[in-house]
Amino acid sequence: MMFLMSPVFAQTEETEAQRKSLWLNYENTTLDPANGKIYYEQRLDRNPLYGLWEMRKSLADNNIHEYLPMFQGIIIGNYKLGSKITAAVPTSEERKTQRIKFLPHPGRYKFDFWIQPAFAAIFGYREQVVQSNTSVLLQTQFYLWQGMVLNAGILFPITNDMDGNPKIIRPAPIFLNQFFAIGKNFVNASAGFFYNDQYGVNVQYRHTDMTTPLSYGLEAGYTGRYFYAKDGIHYSSFNQLLLQADIAYRLARPDVTLKLSGGQYLWQDRGVRVDFIKQFTNVEIGLYAMKTKNGSTAGFNFAIPIPPGKILQGRNARLRTTDQYRFEYSYTRGFQIGERYRTGYQLDQKLRQYHTNYLNSQRE
Amino acid sequence: MNLRLIVIFDILVGKIYVKNSRRGSFLPFLLILFVNTPLFAQMNFSGKPGLLNIPTAIETKSGSLIAGYAYNPVKYSFRRNGIQSESIYYVNLTILSRLDLNLNLMRMNGETRFQDKGIGDRQLDLKYLILKEKKYQPSLALYLSMPFAIDNSFTTNALVATKTFKLSNNFFAEVTGGYGSPVYIKRGDSEKENSNIFSNLKIQNKNTDKRYKYLSGPIGGLNLRYQNKGGVMLEWDSRHFNIGAYGKLFKKWTIQAGVINFDQVTFGTSYALNLKALPKRLKKANENK
Repeated sequence: MMFLMSPVFAQTEETEAQRKSLWLNYENTTLDPANGKIYYEQRLDRNPLYGLWEMRKSLADNNIHEYLPMFQGIIIGNYKLGSKITAAVPTSEERKTQRIKFLPHPGRYKFDFWIQPAFAAIFGYREQVVQSNTSVLLQTQFYLWQGMVLNAGILFPITNDMDGNPKIIRPAPIFLNQFFAIGKNFVNASAGFFYNDQYGVNVQYRHTDMTTPLSYGLEAGYTGRYFYAKDGIHYSSFNQLLLQADIAYRLARPDVTLKLSGGQYLWQDRGVRVDFIKQFTNVEIGLYAMKTKNGSTAGFNFAIPIPPGKILQGRNARLRTTDQYRFEYSYTRGFQIGERYRTGYQLDQKLRQYHTNYLNSQRE
Repeated sequence: MNLRLIVIFDILVGKIYVKNSRRGSFLPFLLILFVNTPLFAQMNFSGKPGLLNIPTAIETKSGSLIAGYAYNPVKYSFRRNGIQSESIYYVNLTILSRLDLNLNLMRMNGETRFQDKGIGDRQLDLKYLILKEKKYQPSLALYLSMPFAIDNSFTTNALVATKTFKLSNNFFAEVTGGYGSPVYIKRGDSEKENSNIFSNLKIQNKNTDKRYKYLSGPIGGLNLRYQNKGGVMLEWDSRHFNIGAYGKLFKKWTIQAGVINFDQVTFGTSYALNLKALPKRLKKANENK
């Protein structure tokens, strides 16, 4: 079996330049012409369809028919771009191939820096109409081994009149994340300092198939509060147990995901939540309602990429804007209803982007 | 469309004349002409497919996101009627081909009293398209305002039907008729004490407890449009007779203005995005090999 680090470029100079520039969008690429496969990772776009299409465009070799996109060095699925995009669970042979290519070559990834905004606000107090906590984060990731990433960065505060924490330039959430897949089972395990002032451990498990409607998951977290003051970092002991289970069903017509979840949230609040999720090309929009011991609320959320995306890109380094900014609006405030913290990504949100119904819905 | 157009807005007559400079002739249309866009509808003051104040049952395409602004004059304002005019900011998303979500924020203009301070009244409304328009069948839509907001200033609980008639190759008449329910549901609490958005919901009647009885009774209207580029609007909003005009610029930008009850001027503008559109760099990549 022979592997090439870059594809064979051919045809006119113009298309060749175009292909070379597209090729720079990818990392950890492995071409396997003998089996007609390409393994790659593309961190620029939230929507995996872009990576699939542009990979096809950047390959001069028409004999490549199987696309294996990865996330943190782990193959998500084996995709074929026919009249309908189809997906198969990666074989153990494919996973082994990728493991061999990954381990001795940590340089297969770029130094990737991205700009991430963070915004939280409370509206409607008469004395101060908008109370907000706004910051800009410069973030990066270090790939340690297959699936394992260290997330780190710097946080630049802009406004904060929501909590008493001082506005100092400080480390962005810094945590380890292990992504793992076996068959149709996926794991996302994190340890460190998360978003929303919680530190500790969080493990998410999900069973999903990229071609069938039903998926389910479990999540457990054990955390405490932290914040940065002028004299350094302050901690509480571990006092928050988060336990969640969910089941999601993807309707074909209309193309919508319904998700029922429940369990224990932060502050020992317990309850259930229903989500209605619609994935558009670049934007995901959700509506939700929840009922817990602390009360009932409803609202909406969305996930969008922040333009322009790629700012500077070379062979070994890149500066970009974030591929995903998430925001959730709730009708109530101040009752600690179903609150949670965020790690890097939620497993269900990440994986539903790879569902073939979503990919195919964009070609209609 | 590459015609160079000069638009003259004649305020005294209240008409918009469009001059085609290439042909050198005045076209006394009551509208502004620009490029064609079938995807996006004209919006009413609170960001629903509609005329000036009333909603219509016009179908919008899944993935269309329209953001806009409207000015509501002081004599016809909702919250402090006759005292303060209002600014309305809205977003309308067609999340499914039959389901629209409309989020709007109403702010009173000018100095606000302490008890009215806030970012404004937020309201979430739904539109469900029960029937899609066919050759002989009008479209039929149900509008509902979510009851859990504490101050819904312009509650829209209405059933409307719209039928489009082709008058010529370029001119269309969209006729709308419907009924706005005077009954609405209100959450009767202060937001600071009530942690349950589904509790303490009360049935209210606009005819007895609102000073401005918006959409309370039969409603109807007409949009006489030139292709999808602009049109004139006439409507009965259950209380007043209103007229207006709108035009679209650069496919996605709509400007509109009107007169409420032959008395005070309202105006607004909106911008449309298509969430299903692929970025430019990928338009050519969608080829099936």
